[in-house]
Amino acid sequence: MFAAKLLPQLFAFFGIAAVVLRGYPERRRPLAVSVGAGFAVGAAVAFFLFRNFPGSFPFELIRTVVGASFFLFWGIAVTALYRSSERALPDASGRSSRLDAVAAPVIALGAAVTAGALAACRFSGNDAPLGPVPALVLLLVIGALLAAAGFFLEAKLPEALTVSRAGTLGGVVALLLLSSSYLVRLDLFSPLSMKVMKGCHDFVHQFMESVLIPDHLFVRPQIWGYIGILFSKEVGFWGGMVIWFTPFLLVAIAVRFELLPSVGHIRQGAQRRKLLAAAIRQRRMKLIVPLLSLVLMAGAAYRSSFPDVEYWDPKPIPVAADPSGDVFIPRKGGEVDLSDGKLHKYLLKGGAREVRFFVMLTPTGKLTVDLDACAICKPDGYGQGEGSVICYYCKTLIPLETVGKPGGCNPVPVAFSEKPDGVHINGVTLVNAWSTTVQSTGAKKEGGK
Amino acid sequence: MTVPTIQTAGLTKGYGDICALKPLDLQVAEGEWLSVMGHSGSGKSTLMNLVGGLDRPSGGSLSVGGQDLSALSEDGLARFRREFVGIIFQQHHLVPYLSAVENVMLSQYFHSVPDEAEARLALERVGLGHRLKNRPGELSGGEQQRVCIARAIINSPKLLLGDEPTGNLDHKSTVMVLELLKELRAEDRFTVVLVTHNEEVAAWGDRTIYLDDGVLVREERLRS
Repeated sequence: MFAAKLLPQLFAFFGIAAVVLRGYPERRRPLAVSVGAGFAVGAAVAFFLFRNFPGSFPFELIRTVVGASFFLFWGIAVTALYRSSERALPDASGRSSRLDAVAAPVIALGAAVTAGALAACRFSGNDAPLGPVPALVLLLVIGALLAAAGFFLEAKLPEALTVSRAGTLGGVVALLLLSSSYLVRLDLFSPLSMKVMKGCHDFVHQFMESVLIPDHLFVRPQIWGYIGILFSKEVGFWGGMVIWFTPFLLVAIAVRFELLPSVGHIRQGAQRRKLLAAAIRQRRMKLIVPLLSLVLMAGAAYRSSFPDVEYWDPKPIPVAADPSGDVFIPRKGGEVDLSDGKLHKYLLKGGAREVRFFVMLTPTGKLTVDLDACAICKPDGYGQGEGSVICYYCKTLIPLETVGKPGGCNPVPVAFSEKPDGVHINGVTLVNAWSTTVQSTGAKKEGGK
Repeated sequence: MTVPTIQTAGLTKGYGDICALKPLDLQVAEGEWLSVMGHSGSGKSTLMNLVGGLDRPSGGSLSVGGQDLSALSEDGLARFRREFVGIIFQQHHLVPYLSAVENVMLSQYFHSVPDEAEARLALERVGLGHRLKNRPGELSGGEQQRVCIARAIINSPKLLLGDEPTGNLDHKSTVMVLELLKELRAEDRFTVVLVTHNEEVAAWGDRTIYLDDGVLVREERLRS
């Protein structure tokens, strides 16, 4: 079972080895060694970070590296599109080959180190079947074997299957993103969708406040209904998708519109056409990797939307306020033990209003009481995973250490008083907190399983 | 010394128990026009199919343009046919719903990429500049065969094979087609192997070989 979980990371690494070797065929042997060594180094560095920086720092670092590689690819894709209009001429200065001499090992090593770190992340959880040292040894062996397999199998691919420089980087980045999408803590898709949604939301607000008068004669409630679409989850999701997929499309377009070689000087028609046909065939072959990258990205996006993770999400326990308005949550009662570090959800009914909230002991040793909603998203609630809670709406992971702090997509904290017997919360405070901070557009959620 | 365009040694071809071509040693020089004569079933078309890469020999060696055809894969043989050989058949085998120029472009398409301007030029070379847009059904037998010649030479073959190319034509059209082939050969320097029943047609070549029951029985050099 665990081996199956590791497969996406190993597949991605194998793919990276094959793509890099095909992208720079004139440097196959040293690149294969670099890729194998890079994977080992990446895994070792990740284990070092897990050991010396417990918490979310190693994940943040790896996620930043993957994200940075994607934004680098954006730049390369735009450049590739810009340069696609230039006719390919023999580079007498050797500039292109000198550039390759630097770019090839940098891409190979960078990608392999990241792939190694991503594979090591699989061994960071409590469900890992091996300790750090045996896991590292295992990854070193697997890395060497996969690099060797990539070296031999890539040689078996048809010679005509060539990859452009931008296509090589695109393939590598798509594989890294696919690999990271299988690790919930490294998922980049949901945070980006969230940022798009927030950006859209903020822009509309700014625009409305600076340009239009909110109660303008023509801005009727129906119009606000349409404007509200801009705040929806779908806008974030599809906006994110545009950002994720566009550079791959740009590379494909750049390849498609590459100028054909000049053949006007060749007298014999058949020879001239043969050269043109070869160039067109090569151009078509160069499209394969960018198009495959799009498929990988679609897989990564799907994986991000439907992660294969079981979250702890208990059914909210109904509670009521006493005549003085006090809501009391006992420290222990029934199956509940507030000191177990788990999310405990409650449901307060105040008249027509329902307020979902949870109580939890954070890793800092303090109890926290928070709404089962944040100030940004629709109130779909939270589930608890490995070292974090996840907002079901935007899929943002909130480290357990920061639960109880306000801001962003964190659950909205609520004032409470802690007594030896349990937690006391003011019912009015709860209802007001929900009414003033939680999006009223949200559908009612019963929560729990 | 130039390498012969066609070189065979002990070349044989059998279909089951039938031996269509018995061990044949033959050399055809670059730019030569070889006529192949014989009765029906003498092995003329079998020889042409082997030389054109349309069939594989049963034994012996066969080298065309320096390539050992028996060693080529199916893909290699297809590439050889595409780039090295032009074939004209007795039946024109033109696509009836395509115009003359489109029929020529079809050959370009399978070779590399179509180029209409070049296809037009090829048809003008064979004297059909005024019949570019006509379909085969709208052309006479001689004109159809001239489209076939344009189609055969459009990819600049080194070897042009003709299997009774004038078999269906009257005398006037036959002379016109052969005259055209002669002119084109002089300009493009390709080698011609032409299978025929007709002594008069064979006489247009530099050399004639006679096959009988798969055996080369006589050879006649007409001009050097």
